[in-house]
Amino acid sequence: MSSEEIDIGGSQTRMEVAFGAGDSDSEASAVVAKKEASLGAIFNQNYRPWEGTLGPRWMRNYAIFRHHVYGLITSKGHRHYHPMVRLLILVIFLVSLSPIPMLFLSSLLGGEDGSFLDKMWGINRYNLWGQVLGFFPRNLCLWPLLTALVVGGMISDDRQNGTSALYFSRPVTRLDYTAMKYVSAATILGFVIVFSYFLYYTSAIVFRSEGWAFLEDTLPIFLGGVLAGLTLVITYTSIGLSLSSISQSRFFAAIGFLSIIFGTKLVAFLVESQFETTFLYILSPYDCLAHIGQYLLGLPLNYDHPLSFSFVSIIVMNSVAIALLVSRVSSLEVTRE
Amino acid sequence: MHRDYVNTSNGGTLVDEDQVEPVITTKALRKMYGPHLALDDATLELPSGAIGILGPNGAGKSTFFKCLLGLIGVTSGEGSVLGHDIRTEGDIIRSKIGYMPEYNSLDPGLFAIDQVRYCGELLGMNSKVAMQRAHEVLEYVGLKDQRYRKIETFSTGMIQATKLACALVHDPEILICDEPTNGLDRRARSFMLQTLRRTVKQGKRTVLMSSHVMDDVQEVCDRIVLIHNGRIVVHRSIGDLVSKVEREIEIVVWGGAKKMEEALISMDLKTRRLGRVIRIKLEDDSTVNQILEAAISTDVQVRQLYEYEPDLEDVFLLIMEKLGSEIKGSSDLIAIANGDAEI
Repeated sequence: MSSEEIDIGGSQTRMEVAFGAGDSDSEASAVVAKKEASLGAIFNQNYRPWEGTLGPRWMRNYAIFRHHVYGLITSKGHRHYHPMVRLLILVIFLVSLSPIPMLFLSSLLGGEDGSFLDKMWGINRYNLWGQVLGFFPRNLCLWPLLTALVVGGMISDDRQNGTSALYFSRPVTRLDYTAMKYVSAATILGFVIVFSYFLYYTSAIVFRSEGWAFLEDTLPIFLGGVLAGLTLVITYTSIGLSLSSISQSRFFAAIGFLSIIFGTKLVAFLVESQFETTFLYILSPYDCLAHIGQYLLGLPLNYDHPLSFSFVSIIVMNSVAIALLVSRVSSLEVTRE
Repeated sequence: MHRDYVNTSNGGTLVDEDQVEPVITTKALRKMYGPHLALDDATLELPSGAIGILGPNGAGKSTFFKCLLGLIGVTSGEGSVLGHDIRTEGDIIRSKIGYMPEYNSLDPGLFAIDQVRYCGELLGMNSKVAMQRAHEVLEYVGLKDQRYRKIETFSTGMIQATKLACALVHDPEILICDEPTNGLDRRARSFMLQTLRRTVKQGKRTVLMSSHVMDDVQEVCDRIVLIHNGRIVVHRSIGDLVSKVEREIEIVVWGGAKKMEEALISMDLKTRRLGRVIRIKLEDDSTVNQILEAAISTDVQVRQLYEYEPDLEDVFLLIMEKLGSEIKGSSDLIAIANGDAEI
């Protein structure tokens, strides 16, 4: 239908009554509008054009990354993390470095005491596995809490505040948005989990003045631990971010994540206690990671079910989480949320 | 966008090519959400300047904006914004467009200056340039010291101003404003409209503005596009539309409006009355004299007499009436919004 088809030629406009609806001659009283006092502000509004050139895609993506990651270090100008959240993450990071002073102590003491400390905190398969995948305290108190704190509001805040419109009305694709959120969260988790693991390993070399032979012996185990750590970071980020994407509440995402990690572990533990089967541990992300980690670090496996079950389970968990994440990010609106 | 200054014998004339070349073109654009037809055969050529996008809720305005921004794939048809295909060059288009959403889209935990700077960075500006530009645009939209306050402490007017600053940070060639005066008081509204007007007149930018408040559209825009049930039913200049409406004299009388009406009718004048207000169709120059004669003969005071100038609200209601919509005023559209889902 073109504009010519709507012809309003010769039409009459609406009418509104003056003063009142009646037409009598009753006394009318005037209402005098009060003029609003001027605040007297001097303001010279001038449109100032900008002649600059916009940067490429990587600059936009880096802006997203920096906004989320730098916010942890300084909230000034970047994503706002509550001071308590920042403090807790710092505490988690410091606790994850706790073996380092013990290594230092063992190198100082030497002898029997030093040997005991070295056995407890020194570099071996069990300790390297425990630094990343040990249940207590790391996977009970530290990593899930860290993930919940970091990913809780990563996307749910955008849903709640409508800030997704800021991204998608600009040349930021949904792929870039999702990828950069993912990378940001994974970087923070990776820094705390994998970087602390790296520091632990290198400090052992430095404190005990280990040579090439030690490196040759332990590097493959260390790299196995790095791989296990990265798998943990990826899995926790995928699950956490997908939960963040399905709600408008960071609290829901955080509690949801903790519930999944601890709930599945608890259920599997109860089933194991009653029926003496570890099979249900394939539902627990932590246990699947721990199982794979044992294999990667060359430890004896303490699960009855085959490793392939845990491996497939981790792939399925990540796939489902990422599919959910992608689907929910696709539904983020620009014009209305 | 390209502009030429052409010197002529009479001292030089600004020839703005944007006035003649369309900045937005759509051809038989159609968008379906499943079986629902959201945009139907939209064919448009929008020149630069200020354009009001009107229509009831659910008419297809948001879909139209999304198509222009290249955010959703069109079912059929084609379109271009600033020469870029909306089907394939969405990211380029979005880097040249500033979009001010209707709903709150700011991070409450950020300072206004940081929010605008971040918006600049999301467009690819480096941090330093984005910060400098954020200061410029925040000053332009009237936020001075407030730029160092957290957005969660802002009033609605300040939030709207910050959203506008976010949209203007990269000096876009086209600014799309979705209900820019929503929730603003008289003073803030007036400033917002003045800012948009200045962006068009001084900044030579194109503004696409959707609003339910016809006065706002009339104050800023010189053309309107009216969308109804997904179809573009009107695309014209406001002046052109207003000139089509019947010319009338409006009088406000005192002391016998009914008598006056009868006298006017007896003079074969086409008349309608609501209370003390009477409108008489302006036939020719003698109509005013006839009105005064009628007033003398009936001994009625004429307190006001002027030619009624139809506004955009009148035009909008007439069009909606022709389309069969039962809308008594544009304020009804806001009420409809609560019941109807937006497309």
